[in-house]
Amino acid sequence: MAGKTVQLSRARKIRSIAYFDYGLLAIVMLLFAFGLVMLYSTSAYIATLEFEDSLHYLKRQLLASVLGFGGILALNAMGYRWLKPLSGLFYVLAFVLCVAVIFIGTAQGSSSRWIYFGPLSFQPSELAKLAVIIYLASMISDSAKKLRDWRNVVRAFFHIIPLLVPVAYNNLSTAVIIAGIAFGMLFVASPDYRAFIVIMAIGAVGIVLFISGAGYRSDRIDIWLHPENHEKGYQTLQGLYAIGSGGMFGKGLGASMQKLGTVPEAQNDMIFSIVCEELGVFGAICVILMYLLMLWRFMIIANNARDMFGSYLVIGIMIHIALQVILNIAVVTNTIPNTGVTLPFISYGGTSVMFLLFEMGIAMAVSRGIRLG
Amino acid sequence: MQRNLWIVFMVVCVLFVILIGRLAYIEYASGEKYERIILAQQQYDSQIIPYQRGDITDVRGTVLATSVDVYNVILDCKVLNSNKDKIESTISYLGASFPQIDTNEIRGILADNPKKQYTVLAKKVSYEDMRNFVKLTEDEETGSKIAGIWFEKEYQRQYPYDSLAASLLGFTTSGNVGMGGVEMYYNKELNGTNGRDYGYVNSDNNVEGAVVEPENGNTVVTTIDVNIQTIVEREIKAFNRRYARDGKPGSKHTAMLVMNPQDGSVLAMANYPTYNLNDPWSLKGVYKKSERKAMSDDEKMDALNKLWQNFCITTTYEPGSTFKPFTVAMGLETGRLSGNESYYCDGYEHIADYNVKCVNRNGHGMLDVRGALMKSCNDALMQMSYAIGSENFADYQRLFGFGQRTGIDLPGEPRTDSLVYDREQLRHTINMATNSFGQNFNTTMIQLGTAFCSIVNGGELYLPHVVDHICDDAGNVVRSFEPVVQKKTLSRETTTQMKDFLRSVVEAGTGAVAGVDGYDIGGKTGTAEKLPRGTGNYLVSFIGYVPQEEPQVVVYCVVDVPNVDDQAHSNYAQEIVHNVFQQILPYMGIEPTVPVVQEEMPAQESAPVTAEANTPENTQQNGETANE
Repeated sequence: MAGKTVQLSRARKIRSIAYFDYGLLAIVMLLFAFGLVMLYSTSAYIATLEFEDSLHYLKRQLLASVLGFGGILALNAMGYRWLKPLSGLFYVLAFVLCVAVIFIGTAQGSSSRWIYFGPLSFQPSELAKLAVIIYLASMISDSAKKLRDWRNVVRAFFHIIPLLVPVAYNNLSTAVIIAGIAFGMLFVASPDYRAFIVIMAIGAVGIVLFISGAGYRSDRIDIWLHPENHEKGYQTLQGLYAIGSGGMFGKGLGASMQKLGTVPEAQNDMIFSIVCEELGVFGAICVILMYLLMLWRFMIIANNARDMFGSYLVIGIMIHIALQVILNIAVVTNTIPNTGVTLPFISYGGTSVMFLLFEMGIAMAVSRGIRLG
Repeated sequence: MQRNLWIVFMVVCVLFVILIGRLAYIEYASGEKYERIILAQQQYDSQIIPYQRGDITDVRGTVLATSVDVYNVILDCKVLNSNKDKIESTISYLGASFPQIDTNEIRGILADNPKKQYTVLAKKVSYEDMRNFVKLTEDEETGSKIAGIWFEKEYQRQYPYDSLAASLLGFTTSGNVGMGGVEMYYNKELNGTNGRDYGYVNSDNNVEGAVVEPENGNTVVTTIDVNIQTIVEREIKAFNRRYARDGKPGSKHTAMLVMNPQDGSVLAMANYPTYNLNDPWSLKGVYKKSERKAMSDDEKMDALNKLWQNFCITTTYEPGSTFKPFTVAMGLETGRLSGNESYYCDGYEHIADYNVKCVNRNGHGMLDVRGALMKSCNDALMQMSYAIGSENFADYQRLFGFGQRTGIDLPGEPRTDSLVYDREQLRHTINMATNSFGQNFNTTMIQLGTAFCSIVNGGELYLPHVVDHICDDAGNVVRSFEPVVQKKTLSRETTTQMKDFLRSVVEAGTGAVAGVDGYDIGGKTGTAEKLPRGTGNYLVSFIGYVPQEEPQVVVYCVVDVPNVDDQAHSNYAQEIVHNVFQQILPYMGIEPTVPVVQEEMPAQESAPVTAEANTPENTQQNGETANE
C-alpha cells in the first residue's frame, strides 16, 4: 500500500495526461449492441405472437438502456467519489426496497420481485447488488488495515447479512451473487485466507439449510440431475437441445428453431442457448472471450485506480459480471441447478441492463481518475 | 491486493475454460442427437384442408345430398389474453355475431386456460355468419378491437328434400362415414382426400409453407327420378294417413319399388315409416313423446336401426300370389303347361293330412290358366305345380334369382338361400304346392321386382341398380354403369303369353283396382297370410307394368299388415299403385293405348289424385270418353 501512496502523490504532480479506458467503452458498446441483436433475434417471434409487435422486447430494453447510458454520462461527468459518503444511504435504500418488494411487489411466478411505478417496473435486487459493491468498497477503503485480521473479515461479511436475508427470501440466485461479490471483494482485500474458510463453511451450511427448507428449491436439484424426468426440466432440456443442435458454427443468425416457442422465456435466462444454436460453439466462445476481455479491462483499471475506493468499486463490478456470466452459462449448460441468473447485456431485463450500464459508468469514471505518468 | 485480484481473475479464467469445455462436450457428445430431437419436435403448424364430399343427385341432376361448408369458431386464449384491451370488445363482437356463443363462457375459458390456443366456441356456423365476422376483422376500425379469433372450415352433409328417399340414400356420421344406402355403398367414391396447409423444414433449416389442395369427392348420379320418388312417397304417406286409426298409421310397413324393366334401373324406392335425413337420430314423428321417453338407450337404438332399414332391400317375407306368374311362366317355359289347360277348383287341396285352402273356400269351379291368374286361384296353381315337378320348380326359382342376392348396389341385402326350398325339400308335395302360390318361402322386394321385370321384358334378368354414373367434381364421367343382363330366364314367346295373362288380371281380374283408364296395365295381386297363421295378419301387394308392348315401368307395392279389421284384400296395395300410375304415366310420357274405357272403375275410397285435373293426357282422355 505504501507504493500506491507514492504513486498517487507523484500523479498529483503530473496532471497533464488524462486517461479514459476506451477499450472498456468499446467492449461495452460491442457487447451491448450484440445483446440487442440477439435479443431481437430471440424475442421477435414470441413478441409478434403475444403483442403483435416483433419489437416489443427490444423497445423496452432500449428504453432502459437510454436511462443506463444517461447514467454513464452523468457518472463520467460527476466522477465516482460522491458515492462514498452515500454508500450507507444506498445500503439502507436497497434494504428498504428489498423488504418492501416482499409486501408490495408484483409476482411473476412464485416470488414477487418487481415494484411498479406506474408503467415502469423495477427490480430492487438489482439495486442491492450495486449497493453492496459501493458499501463494501467504501468500507474496505476505510479500514483496509483492519482486514488483515481474519476475524474482522468475517465481521465485515456479517455487515451485508441484513440485506442478504430479504433478497434471499425472494430470489436465492441474486443472494448468491451478492454473497459472491462480498466474498470476492473481501478476499481481494484480505491477505489472510483463514477468514474465507470460515465464511465458506457458514455459506455452505446456509445453502444446505436453505435448500432443504424450501420445497421448490430441492426440486431443482433433482431436475438438474435428471431434467428429462421432470416437467420442470423442460426448459433446461430444450436449452441443451438448442446448444447441441448449433454445431461448431451454428445455424446462422436468426435461424434458431428453439426460439420459436420451444424454449420458454428464451429471451431471459436462456438466451445463451439461442446464441449457441445460432452462432455455434465458435460464437459462444467469442462471447465468453468478450466477457473475459471486459474483466481484463476491469483488472487493469482496478490495479491503476487513483484510490482504494475506486479500485474496490471496479473489483466489485468485475466480480459481479464474472459471477453472472459464469452462473448463467453454467445454468444453461445444466452444469449447476437452474437458477434465474441473467446474462449481462444480452438477456432481456430492463432493471438489470440499466444497473449494469450504471456499473460501467462507475468503472469508466474510475478509469478517468487514472493519471498516466 | 494485486496478488489476490490475480487469483480471482485466474479462477474466473479457469471457470470460463471449464464452461467452454462443457459447451464443446455437449456439442460433441449429443449434438447430432439433439439436432434430430429438435427437428422431430417441430410442429410445423400444419392444418388440414377438408375435402368436399361428393353430391348424390337424381337421374336429372337434382341434388339429393350435398355437403355445404360450415365454420367452427376458434378462440386463441394466448393471443386474446395478451391483448387485454381487446378482450371485452372481442367478446361483445362475438356475442353479437354468433348468438349461440355464451359470452360469459368465453370469460371463463380465458381465465381458466390463459395459454390455450385452440378452443372451439361455436360449431358449424354458416358461411354468411362467418363472412360477416371476417368483414368486421378486416375493417380497420372494428378489426383493431378483435384478436385471437379464427375460423376452421368443415363440411356438413345436407339433404335438401329431408326425408325423400331416406333409406335409399342413407346419411353420414361424423368423418364422412356413410350409414346405409347410397351414402354407404358408394362411400369411397363420394369421399375425397384431405388437403393440407403445412410448414416443413428445408435443407437450410428454414421453415417453409406449402399447400396441398384437397381432392373433392365424386358426384354419384342415381337412376332415381325425384318426381317419381316424390309421387310414390306422397301416395304412401297419404295411404297411411287415410287408414290411420287408434293412433297408428295405416300399416306396419308400406313400401314401393319402381323399376325400369328394360335395364334394371330403379326409378323410385320408398318405404314407410321413414325418417328425416337431416335429423336421422330422431324418432320424432314415428313414436309419441311419451313412448320416446319410456325407451331405454338400447331400445332407442333398436328402433332407429329398424327405422333406417330399407324395406325394399333388407326385409324378407312370403310374397303370396304375386309369385303365381312365376309358377305359370316356368310351366310354360318348360313346356309342362301349354296355357290351354283347365283345372277344377273345389276350394282346397288335400295334401298329407292338410287341407290347403284356396282364396274362395267354396271353390272357383272350372278355370283355365288365364282364369287361375285372374281369380288368383291357389287350387289351380297347386295342380300346375304337380305338372311342373319339383326339379323344374327348384331350378327355375333359382333362375329367377330367388334365394340369391340380386347384387343391387345398395347395402343390407340379406342371405335368402336358406329361405327357399331346395330340390330335395320340394319333393314333399306340400312344400311345392304351397310354394306355387308364394307361401312357405321368403323373398325380398328387390328379388321379386327384378325377376318380374324379366317376365315382362322378354326374359332378360337385369342386374338391378340405383346408380347411373359417377362424375368427378368437374363434371367428367369417371364411371358409367351400363345395363347388365345377368341371365336369360324366359323365351320371348313365354313372356308375350305371360303379359297377355297379366293384362287380364288387371282388366277383369283381382287387379282391377290398380288399373288406370286408357292404359294397358298388366299385373298381379298378392294377399299373403303372415306367420303365425290364423292371427288375421296379412301382407298384401300388387306388382304391375305399363305399357303392354315394351313395358317402361314396373311398380311393386307392399302393404305389410294394413291397419284394418279385414286385412286380406290386395286393394290396399292396388289403391296406392293406381294413384301412382295415374301420376307417373303422363309424367313419363307413356301414351294411353286404350281409347275406350270398357268397364267402370271400381269404387275408390281414395281421394282424387291431385295431378289428375292438370295433365293434358287426362283432359284428352276425358274428351275421348265423352265422345263415346
